Amino acid sequence: MTYSDYFLLSIFYFWASSTSLSLGIGYYTIYRPVMAGMIAGLILKDPQKGMMAGALVNIIYIDFVSTGGSFKGDQCLTAIVAAMVSILYDLDPLEASALAYPFGFLGILIWKYRLKINNIFVHIYERKYKENKAPDISVYDGLLPQLLLFVMSTLVFTAALSLMFLLNDAVNFKNIGALYYIGLILVILSAFNILYKIKNKYNFIIFGATFLAGELLGIRAYILFVLIILTLLFTVDKKVDFAKNIFKGPIKKKDLVYSWFIWMNYSHSCYSYDRLMGLAFAHSMKNIFKKLYDNKYQISEAIHRHTEFFNTEPNMGTPILGYIIALEEDRRIKDESFEDISYIKKGMMGISAGLGDSFTQVILAPLFISMSVMLCLDNGFYPAFIPVILLAALILFISYAGFMNGYFKGKEFMLQRIKNVKQSKLHTYFPYMFSGILGMSMSKLLFNDIRPYENIFTIITIIFAACLTFMRKRGER
Amino acid sequence: MNDVFIRVDDRLLHGQVVVSWIPYLQAKVAVIADDEYANDEFMRSLIESSGPEGVRVHAKTIDETAEFLKDDRDDKILVLLKSIEGLNRLIKKVRISSINIGGLGAGQGRKRYYNSIHLSDDELKILKDIANENIVVEVRILPKDKAIVIKGN
Repeated sequence: MTYSDYFLLSIFYFWASSTSLSLGIGYYTIYRPVMAGMIAGLILKDPQKGMMAGALVNIIYIDFVSTGGSFKGDQCLTAIVAAMVSILYDLDPLEASALAYPFGFLGILIWKYRLKINNIFVHIYERKYKENKAPDISVYDGLLPQLLLFVMSTLVFTAALSLMFLLNDAVNFKNIGALYYIGLILVILSAFNILYKIKNKYNFIIFGATFLAGELLGIRAYILFVLIILTLLFTVDKKVDFAKNIFKGPIKKKDLVYSWFIWMNYSHSCYSYDRLMGLAFAHSMKNIFKKLYDNKYQISEAIHRHTEFFNTEPNMGTPILGYIIALEEDRRIKDESFEDISYIKKGMMGISAGLGDSFTQVILAPLFISMSVMLCLDNGFYPAFIPVILLAALILFISYAGFMNGYFKGKEFMLQRIKNVKQSKLHTYFPYMFSGILGMSMSKLLFNDIRPYENIFTIITIIFAACLTFMRKRGER
Repeated sequence: MNDVFIRVDDRLLHGQVVVSWIPYLQAKVAVIADDEYANDEFMRSLIESSGPEGVRVHAKTIDETAEFLKDDRDDKILVLLKSIEGLNRLIKKVRISSINIGGLGAGQGRKRYYNSIHLSDDELKILKDIANENIVVEVRILPKDKAIVIKGN
């Protein structure tokens, strides 16, 4: 590993864990272990091996959901470490994922302190505003928090790297035979855990069926992938109606697109306990107010109004931003306010967060990311990119369509969006599809990498892990 | 007495509640107790249409919520309030055994109490008074988090 590898890897870890500066889709693409492992592998010149290690880390984190900035471990750092140890020390992907697993807790430090530290930028911004200095929101929401994050993530990454080297010096990773079994247990525990979690009486049957199909009949993963995509194409409602673009005031299409662009890039940039996404909301209004007002202080005052506490799901919640822009424009051209803007924001943000998290994070992301993992485990390096690209396109579409419709159709669009999402057949099909993908993934993992029939300990480990999940679930009841 | 879980969270029915709390509590009914929203036709229809699968969501005023809780029901009920002030009004009308504080944003003389939970001195005093009435007041953001219990004087 050279210094330039180290430099590139730490830049990549910053970029992926920031989830900023990646048009809002970084969280659904490069942050996910399967892709993070691939890119770390690319830097170390073995993307296929990196992706394979990432895919296994991804199974361990398959039930990952982050709501309001709280979760259990940093899957991105885990994946990068897994890819590194897998390539540098020539470890099996299962061994690499087991070894990397504890490193995830190191990464969570960033999130924990990031929300606290970002309060500082909120306070500096507030002070400058009170001193009548018309502070530039993009500095306090964008530049400074990202610089700080870069320092923090580089520190964490360097610590992880040093720990890895030290550990290998102390105990040669190659000699730890147990790693392989620990990895196997972690992966199986996670898979069974999620099967229990998605309450559906057929999920174990479907899991078993696709497992056997992959294991005994040798059915390839891409066949299941094509079947699922066809099912989605023919059954899920794809009705898209964009409102006519009628511009009534100074705000034009390019202003809306730019505001959306800022929101997508910076929604979590200065994520703080104090305001959560408040500064990001204000940041995305900056160009709008520059269009609506001429006076520097008026612009600053209007932006400041929007720095109040705000938290929503950044893609499903975009109608709020579009609608607020329309309200602010009305307020300017008609010189009166028809609605209490702060009240509308607060009322709509929670609803769209609840709706959004339970759709984008709980259904869309696991569905498409697990398909990528499945294809990867079946030695499909290039095919594994397809589900991730589809997911990114869907997220962008949900977010962009919401923003524009929010502006043109107003708050009624949020009602319509809730109805559409709730009626989506995806809710019904998701448990079946997901169980099937898991079954196929497991079969390919065992078939291609492990061959359990060659090792009695492997079979014992699998049975042990399955029993462990079962007993734990019984205990919870 | 009904099986009721009361949570104060100014984001009301948001991600943490829908993704974590509702499945954890196995709640079948959620009541958003807020005078302003209950009297606003748009917000009421937004709230009532937003329930996840298998959960009925109502938007009610504080008074209506108190009446609603007095009727016996078999289902587990989740009540969401957006302010301590509203909680104080509700608690005077119905008997409740425990309260969860899950999210209160900064502002209006509030200081950070724990992570994303901010309380003003008055609000903390109200919570302590409530705790004095033998009601358990816990600060817990997600079900798996450790609860911080606010004790009375």
